[in-house]
Amino acid sequence: MSPFTEEKEKLLFKLVDNANVLLIYFNASGNVSTCNRKVEYFAAKSREDIIGQNWLSVLYPDTNVLMKQQTFKAITDDSTKYKRPNTFEGIITDRSNNERLIFWNITPVLTESGDLEGVLLIGDDITELKESEASSKKIDETLRNIFSNIKEYALYVINLDGNITYYGMGSEMVFGWQKNEIIFKQAGILFSSEDAKTKLPYILQEVRESGQYETEIDLVKKDGQSFPVILNVTRFLDREGALTGYIFIAKDITERKKLEYQIFQTEKLAAIGQLAAGMAHEINNPLFVISGRIEMLLGQRMGRKVKESLGIINAQADRIRKLVDQLLKFSRKTQPKLEAININDTIESVLPLLSYHKLPSSTVSIEKDLARDMPTVKGDLNQLQEVFVNLLLNAYQSMPDGGKITIKTHNLQNTYAQITISDTGHGIDQKDLKNLFMPFFSTKQNGTGLGLSICYNIIKNHNGAIEVESQTNRGTTFTIKLPFA
Amino acid sequence: MTYKVLVVDDEAPVRELFRDLLKKEKCTVKCVPSAENALYLIEKEDFDIVLLDIKLSGMSGLEALKKIKGLKSDQIVIMITGFGYDEELIAKSREYGCSGYIGKNMPISQIISSFKLFAKTAQERKKLKK
Repeated sequence: MSPFTEEKEKLLFKLVDNANVLLIYFNASGNVSTCNRKVEYFAAKSREDIIGQNWLSVLYPDTNVLMKQQTFKAITDDSTKYKRPNTFEGIITDRSNNERLIFWNITPVLTESGDLEGVLLIGDDITELKESEASSKKIDETLRNIFSNIKEYALYVINLDGNITYYGMGSEMVFGWQKNEIIFKQAGILFSSEDAKTKLPYILQEVRESGQYETEIDLVKKDGQSFPVILNVTRFLDREGALTGYIFIAKDITERKKLEYQIFQTEKLAAIGQLAAGMAHEINNPLFVISGRIEMLLGQRMGRKVKESLGIINAQADRIRKLVDQLLKFSRKTQPKLEAININDTIESVLPLLSYHKLPSSTVSIEKDLARDMPTVKGDLNQLQEVFVNLLLNAYQSMPDGGKITIKTHNLQNTYAQITISDTGHGIDQKDLKNLFMPFFSTKQNGTGLGLSICYNIIKNHNGAIEVESQTNRGTTFTIKLPFA
Repeated sequence: MTYKVLVVDDEAPVRELFRDLLKKEKCTVKCVPSAENALYLIEKEDFDIVLLDIKLSGMSGLEALKKIKGLKSDQIVIMITGFGYDEELIAKSREYGCSGYIGKNMPISQIISSFKLFAKTAQERKKLKK
């Protein structure tokens, strides 16, 4: 007895006919035996017109799409030849000439003796599905691109036990830890040991209570170096809204801090400059009178003791005079005379000038490595010479037991002339480095603390930059960048 | 070579020092504390050289220089400055016709030798013109 009653068969036919898939059955020679309504709709033909046609000509009435046809045919042929089902994803056009992406199930139908009777194609229109998949993929990709370009952000998640469970975008770059090194480690590893004990629990408590917490804090890199970040922590909730962890977003603000410090320094320098200029002028008048009177007295007869004392007074007055002179230089607002200057020549011209200064008697060798391809910079020869003399004198003075000065010039991408002056001297203490260009800051016993601040001002007025690197007992390197003309 | 010099400076100790220093160099010296006084005197008397402070209370040194030159175009004027080497002020003074400048920040010996040098060149030039 057939398992289908007539009624059930009717129902089955109705379901198949109305199913929201394309259904075609064609015989072994490729002619369509039957199809459902969706195929009628796509082909814009009635079932009567479709039956008996070659299946490919039904699906691809446009003969210009031979390639699409042939791929589908090859896969179907493969399916019939080896009598195994297959799938195929391909585009056909519907009655309104819209391209639709169809996912086809190809099922060979066999006779009882195992020969091929026909092929059943069931096609599912997956156009919209693919589109949304593609766009979400694209969003993912775009997001990943955006985040991989934001190198100062680290995004990571910790669970309620404090283990790092997600270590994402930018984290490796910011912290220096690789993902596999740090995943499931305690989050405290990214804080100083003190902060891990006190601040971290406090932050998590705040987040639990108010949902979010933002603070400026120092975090710690893999190499132990601490760096400033803006840390934003939020709750990480599961679908039911229960707390499962904390999302950390740390923004590295090292560069911003540096800039803030520079601006602060610049403003401070400008204020000091103004004060210095005013004071220098006020000091110059009485000092002139003192020096002048001493000078007049020295021409007269007097006892040895008095003469000796006057000599000392004179020398000290002269010291003040020189200091005021430097103050005036430091506050000098006049813009540099801008002429085309060859940096290599300037350096060569400075070396003989050094002999006019009191140099330590130690043996110091000077090595030069000057770039051949060096365009001119716009600058004031006198002022730039003063900078180089100052830096070279400092280098000499840092090597009382002798050593080597290396002067290098370098063409930085045809934009800047880079000049480095390195010595092998006693170096500068790390804590003194940030104050090095401040007026009146000196590490020398008899230094006025004005030399480097004058250098700083000159280079700044040339739209350039001056930086220093130093290691105690290893030496110091000054790097100057000046824009090419 | 001796000169008749007029010193213009609003600070008495500075004026007096210049007077003593220049007297030592055998100059005849008169001192006034302001540009207004100087102009009045220059109109009545002839001076070989006027030493004029650039920063005066009342009429400024630069203004005074302009007026002096208006009064006597061949008057030799040397500016005195307490500002040290100020390119802008010096350029302005030159434009208005000063013969040189002396910084109060220079060593005294250099101030005297500079004064002599400026005075000598200026006078030679003046003679040449005549």
